[in-house]
Amino acid sequence: MLLSLMIFVPLLGMIVVLLLPRESDELIKRVTLGFTLIPLIIAAYLFINYERSIFGIQYPHGPVDWITAFNIKYYIGIDGLSVTLILLTALLGPICVLASWRNIEKGLKAYMALFLLLETGMLGFFASLDLFLFFVFFELTLLPMYFLIGVWGGPRREYAAIKFFLYTLFGSVLMLVAMIAVYLNSNVINGVAEGVRTFDILTLISLAATPGHALADPGFQMWVFLGFFIGFAVKVPIFPFHTWLPDAHVEAPTAISVILAGVLLKMGTYGIVRVNMAMFPEGLAIFTNGVGIVGNSLALLGFINIVYGSLCALAQTDFKKLVAYSSIGHMGFVILGLAAGNSEGINGAILQMFNHGVISAMLFLLVGVLYDRAHHREINGFGGIATKMPVYTGITTLAFMASLGLPGLSGFVGEALSLLGAFQEFELITILSTIGIVVGAAYFLWTLQRVFLGQLNPKYEDLPEINKREILTLVPLGILTIVLGIWPNFALDMFSESVTNLVNVLEAI
Amino acid sequence: MIVPLISIILLAPLAAFAIFALLGLAKRNFPRQDYLSTVAMLAALGCSLLLIQEVVSDPKPITVEWLSLGSVTFSMGFYLDSVTVIMLIVVTLVSSLVHIFSIGYMHGDPRYSRFFAFLSLFSFSMLFLVVSDNLLGIYIGWELVGLCSYLLIGFWFEKDSAANACKKAFLTTRVGDIGMFIGMMMLFAEFGTLSLYGDSGIFEEVTTLESGQIAWLSVAGILIFCGAVGKSAQVPLHTWLPDAMEGPTPVSALIHAATMVAAGVYLVARMFPILTPTSSLVIAYVGGITALVAATIAIVRFDIKRVLAYSTVSQLGYMMLAIGAGSYVAGLFHLTTHAFFKALLFLGSGSVIHAFHAMHAHHDDEHAESDEHDDHSLVHEHGSEIPPDQDMRNMGGLRKKMPLTFITMLIATLSISGVPFVFSGFWSKDAILGGVLGQAMASNSPHYYILFGMALIAAGITAFYMFRLIFMTFFGEPRNQEMHDMAHESPWVMTVPLIVLAALSFPAVNILWFNENYIEPPPQHHIHSPQRVYVSPDSKTADANSGISLFGISEAEAAEDESGHDAEHASDGHHGHGPAHTIAMVLSICVAGLGILLSWLFYHKRRFSAEAVATTFRPAYNLFWNKYYFDEFYDGVLVALTVWKSRLFAGFDLSVVDGIVNGVGTVTRDVLAAFIGFFDNRVVDGLVNRVAAVTWSAGGRIRRIQTGAIQTYLFVVIGGIVLIILIFRLF
Repeated sequence: MLLSLMIFVPLLGMIVVLLLPRESDELIKRVTLGFTLIPLIIAAYLFINYERSIFGIQYPHGPVDWITAFNIKYYIGIDGLSVTLILLTALLGPICVLASWRNIEKGLKAYMALFLLLETGMLGFFASLDLFLFFVFFELTLLPMYFLIGVWGGPRREYAAIKFFLYTLFGSVLMLVAMIAVYLNSNVINGVAEGVRTFDILTLISLAATPGHALADPGFQMWVFLGFFIGFAVKVPIFPFHTWLPDAHVEAPTAISVILAGVLLKMGTYGIVRVNMAMFPEGLAIFTNGVGIVGNSLALLGFINIVYGSLCALAQTDFKKLVAYSSIGHMGFVILGLAAGNSEGINGAILQMFNHGVISAMLFLLVGVLYDRAHHREINGFGGIATKMPVYTGITTLAFMASLGLPGLSGFVGEALSLLGAFQEFELITILSTIGIVVGAAYFLWTLQRVFLGQLNPKYEDLPEINKREILTLVPLGILTIVLGIWPNFALDMFSESVTNLVNVLEAI
Repeated sequence: MIVPLISIILLAPLAAFAIFALLGLAKRNFPRQDYLSTVAMLAALGCSLLLIQEVVSDPKPITVEWLSLGSVTFSMGFYLDSVTVIMLIVVTLVSSLVHIFSIGYMHGDPRYSRFFAFLSLFSFSMLFLVVSDNLLGIYIGWELVGLCSYLLIGFWFEKDSAANACKKAFLTTRVGDIGMFIGMMMLFAEFGTLSLYGDSGIFEEVTTLESGQIAWLSVAGILIFCGAVGKSAQVPLHTWLPDAMEGPTPVSALIHAATMVAAGVYLVARMFPILTPTSSLVIAYVGGITALVAATIAIVRFDIKRVLAYSTVSQLGYMMLAIGAGSYVAGLFHLTTHAFFKALLFLGSGSVIHAFHAMHAHHDDEHAESDEHDDHSLVHEHGSEIPPDQDMRNMGGLRKKMPLTFITMLIATLSISGVPFVFSGFWSKDAILGGVLGQAMASNSPHYYILFGMALIAAGITAFYMFRLIFMTFFGEPRNQEMHDMAHESPWVMTVPLIVLAALSFPAVNILWFNENYIEPPPQHHIHSPQRVYVSPDSKTADANSGISLFGISEAEAAEDESGHDAEHASDGHHGHGPAHTIAMVLSICVAGLGILLSWLFYHKRRFSAEAVATTFRPAYNLFWNKYYFDEFYDGVLVALTVWKSRLFAGFDLSVVDGIVNGVGTVTRDVLAAFIGFFDNRVVDGLVNRVAAVTWSAGGRIRRIQTGAIQTYLFVVIGGIVLIILIFRLF
């Protein structure tokens, strides 16, 4: 119940906001903030009270019959992985509302309402235990996102929004086909169909591990694996499905970029862990067994993301686009770690998911702070602003260092574990991937130099320092990057049991 | 007592930084950050001294579990042996003195508090690196000192040169760090741990390897050494260190002379047990080449700080050479003596720069207005603009104006030049030379004779350029009268640290090193294997007659010959009674004397003209002057290539990858829609048009979304889903 409450409180908030008079901006903002704080409190409660030593689903709600014709149920629950990402989502909620406090000039009411709808979609996605419900929540995030970019975005917002929408839809369609295939085969054992079909994820996982079951067939697994994988790959995004991301980021308002990088990309990798790896280990093995191009393909995709993403980032002159490409690079470490399929790799990948959520959120918030003041993001158009904004510079340095994987900050732990894991399986690919670490340092330091160091650009003599509200949005994330850098077990403890279980399944293949 | 003491050592400087950072968020400053940081450092120094008595002969790491992932656990912890304690004392001592010096030197800087906070953060990171018992901890400290180095090199970030230098330092060292990280991954993949000590630590596991299996271990050792190549500025990654002189001079003294750059040597020494004959030889060669290359570059520099920077690179090469040649103790001994005399030289040069303080205001003056009468007006300074207050061509005759600075710097110069018996630098350098020669004689390998030759030449050059610095700065007539008139001796906060460091340049103060039992080199398992070229120095078993000392290396069979043990002890010490040490000592005194003599003739007596020599040996001179063209190669080839490649990729991304996406979009919308007709028109193009209609229509668009559009799209999507499900149902 608690979990359902958390998921639907924002939806309730949306209704409340829609009922408010459209002129009362302050009220709308406060109400929205309130409705995003409630899920945060519940998520924190769940995170703290989650029983770490037990593997399995906790705080379940359901299964409740929903669409009986297809045996679709409302069934939610959390394990260590989902509760970690739920905490991330719930934390970014109020932060994004605060980040939208001043810079949404038109249609605030609709903006906030859509934002709350988005939050329900994201929270529901991470908690779903029914494949159909999972898909519905997945699609539910698409709509508000489309409007949030398409209406409140920058000059090329229509293009970016349509591209985002159609691209994701393209992925979803493949996913939908795979999902239906799974559903239709869920009652076939030894070629005989009997009993009811199901969308229940936990049941499907165990069926897929039952010898003789249609879902356990490696050939079948390979195809549905691919279907789901492409759907999620668009979201991650994995090369070559990534070009919607820079456009969407550049056009989206700050808070929406934060959500996009912080949570939406994680939906892709979460889906890969939850569905592709847990449900189709045989299919996964085909792409990660280390034999030939196909057997190395997942690791190769991780490598390409890392190196390609960071090299593209190096060439950018738009601050936000640079951060967007850096996301592509950093998500590559997640893919690489997952491809490793061992304890270090998967734990590292999941940790990297969380850490990237926190760090990239910081980065986009920081870009937004600068954009709100200068009204442009051209890296070469600044210079020397460290003298005018020392606190802002300090926080940016922290975020950059965390993102480039400086030990002692959170970004390092996930990256290092992913690499340590991957190295055991894919030596050469991993060694080549470390190029990305150097390039990552290069583009961040180069940006730091061009924007902050050197002589102050006279245009920015009067640049105001970062204000208290903006600091407030950044401090919780900054604390998390430091705490998780020093004490990664804080998050790792949550899911290492689940990962151990997953690794056992994968190693049994 | 160990845990509380180490905790104070680490937490005191960290707290000093944390106070600065937290107050900074509230846009405030602690009123006396300088005192706060200095007191924190002195507390750490006190605790480090107390730790001396805590050292036991067979220390156990003190660890806590840091990360547990089911089967694998990473722990963090301390390891305290005599080397750790010596490093702790060196770091805290130099750091304390630099803090005190900076109170005077940085006085009046607009970011005064920040400077001390960064020094504190650096000290914490360095100390963390030193006490860590495992590779992961070392790596964390390793990168954090790199960050502090970055922040402090770029402390005066308004100068473009400083902004460039800090970026270069970080990136260059990171290239090395990647190598180190790959090495760590190899060790982890093999042993499943990154802990060094203890029963399942790497040093224990490594003994289980058969001698036939160690090829990869050589690779891993060399890769880990790559980290040290970056951090300790060894060839070919040395180019960042001279540029790092853009940082304030106390930073150069602390980070880029005494501590951080020596961390690479410390790392290699820590990893001594996993070094194989191959990796040792690679280390020795890199060290030897670095010692020689950097020394030759130092001869022709005019910036007082760059001379010292190249000198540091060269001396670090010496230390690497020592450890590669198996002279573990000698390498660490030189690390210690070098830390003191080089910190002194830098602080002394800082004192000189401070003397020209008025000139600080003109930091951004484009050029040192170099004197026309100077020797090298024929070569024009490309790209390296020397600030006037660091240009030795503006100095001269300062010894009367700044007697304390002069005397203390002279002591350090005598020490680094290897003037015999009185100065600690002589003993440590002699230990290295003797060790390398001993290794050469014992192994009969031409490699070590070559390396010995390189080290000897470098020693001579060192004496030459160091006295060149002294003569140009403190002797002769003032070359720039205006600046000379302004010069003054520095205040006591700056001279006291100089005097203390000068005292540390005498052997008596380095007493721990002369107690031969205090430091035991760890065993090198794989150099004990039958194929070994030489044995590790701990098997001090060479027969006494061949007189290979502690620093020397003996024949293979010596490992069995335990009887020679005591005899060897008699000869070790640092006084080198055996032939190798005697020969090395005589030769080193000769080359040092020659170097000083030549320097005196060139730069004091002006008996010879440096200009004439430069003209005669033009190609060599150009090579040295242009620093062997490393920077040109890196900037012109590697950096340019990377940037070019990144543009290529970004262009590819925009035109090809995205082009395909857009092309598919266009085709879908325009071509297919035209042919397939209604259905497609409705879904794809209809969608596009709808969106356009919604977003383009000006005033009422928000209302339209609220009143109809969302439902429409929800309907489209859900309807689509249901449609597809129905289609599937029909199968």
